Amino acid sequence: MSQQKAGQTVLVWDIPTRMFHWLLVVCFVMAWLSYEDNRYLDVHTFAGYTFFGLLLFRVVWGVFGTHYARFKEFAYGWSDVFGYIKGLFGEDMRHYIGHNPAGAWAIFSLIGFGLVLTVSGLFVLGGEEQHGPLAGIITFRQSTPFREAHEFAAYTLLLLVVIHFVGVITESLFHRENLIGAMFRGTKQADTESTSVRPHRLIAATLFTVVVAYVIAAFGGYLTETQENPYLPFKGKELPMSDTWNEACGECHLAFHPTLLPARSWELMLEQQEDHFDDDLFLEDDTIDELLIYAKANSADLEQTEAAWRMNSNIPANETPLRISEVSYWKRKHEEIDDEIWKRNEIKSKANCGACHLDAKQGTFEDADMRIPGEAPEFDAIEWLKSVLGGDEK
Amino acid sequence: MKSGFARVIAVVLFMMAAQVHAGAVDTLQQEYIAAGAGPFSAAKGKEMWIEKHLDAESGKQRNCQSCHTEDLSKPGKHAKTGKVIEPLAPSVNNERLTDIKFINKWFKRNCKWTLGRECTAQEKGDFLEYLRGL
Repeated sequence: MSQQKAGQTVLVWDIPTRMFHWLLVVCFVMAWLSYEDNRYLDVHTFAGYTFFGLLLFRVVWGVFGTHYARFKEFAYGWSDVFGYIKGLFGEDMRHYIGHNPAGAWAIFSLIGFGLVLTVSGLFVLGGEEQHGPLAGIITFRQSTPFREAHEFAAYTLLLLVVIHFVGVITESLFHRENLIGAMFRGTKQADTESTSVRPHRLIAATLFTVVVAYVIAAFGGYLTETQENPYLPFKGKELPMSDTWNEACGECHLAFHPTLLPARSWELMLEQQEDHFDDDLFLEDDTIDELLIYAKANSADLEQTEAAWRMNSNIPANETPLRISEVSYWKRKHEEIDDEIWKRNEIKSKANCGACHLDAKQGTFEDADMRIPGEAPEFDAIEWLKSVLGGDEK
Repeated sequence: MKSGFARVIAVVLFMMAAQVHAGAVDTLQQEYIAAGAGPFSAAKGKEMWIEKHLDAESGKQRNCQSCHTEDLSKPGKHAKTGKVIEPLAPSVNNERLTDIKFINKWFKRNCKWTLGRECTAQEKGDFLEYLRGL
């Protein structure tokens, strides 16, 4: 520590630390941009897993890493923080080569809440989506408190990021030192006693390779998909299928999976087969029996999928809806879709679930497996990437 | 020699297929005749195929073309759900008019939807006579 800046340039932040920092920033932004629209759940979980992995790396690096990256190097007590902040406005303005005490507290809080955020995210993913390591362990109903914790941690982390950023700007101004630049270059001006840390290129290259491999694993499918065989980023659990059901229902419309309505709805619908939305089905009694057995064994009440759980918990016990599109949950989920979109040739009917839900036939209705046909996203990263790659080849 | 034998097999298979094809329609028409209908006319079948019927509830005109569209060698579209219906003309879709159970089921459903009642034996015989020639 010294107040004077000597003319020596030392490497303070090794490459893995800097890479961790900026990748964490990218993941944080990515997660915020992708959380609202269900369609981007694959992007959101990618950001979350990467964020989690980076934090775990940082924890290990905080023990085994280079000098300034080690936790014990910046494990300052509260009095240090207080003294540091007071010093900023007084005479005793101290300069730290590594993390200053206030910054150190920000780092610990960011890592701590980052872990709360990602671990709670894993619980939400396991509970609400039945994906990830906790799928099947957390039930849909148990996931609500984890969602609240996840949201709370996300906003707390955002606040901490703001504080961290304000701190960096403040310190940069007070000490006339570009701290943001230092997090890119890794170097700072220091006194003659300070020595450079090792850059650790090999570890950095490994870290980078792992992240790139994960990007390819998560999104490579978008580059190789075809119109007939679109890429499904999420594969739901395999639901029981019935040839009788798929044939009897699929003759006129998508064979809506029985997980979409409660058993009482299917019973009533098959009971009234002569008045089936303006059609008389003329189904044989044994066919009806077979359909009923299958429907009851997989109805929404059994909550085999997120859609089943949401639909079922949204239907009042005294109601027996016959149209899926009349359930309030369905309406809420589709209210933002303009009439113009419904009228598109590829869609036309509210019964045409498969036009947007790529896994409608399987009945899984995964969040990320949705695409509105004829809709060009504001920024299509895949198209952009294809054009860049194509441009290089020419 | 070998290719000659293969040709014979192919011709026999084709004839068998044609036999099955003719079989379903013929069997059904025999049934209709036994019920007092006949003879059957493709022209009459076509006329009824195009004839429009007012559906009281929706206030809309309906005919067979509402779903099967005008060109039976092309896929049709379910009037309500938009589901694609395979072409009905046996010349482009050799599965058509081969399954008695299937034909009966759709006569029941579609006569009720289009005409508001089941079709008579005479009408069904005329429809089949029209469709088998496509």
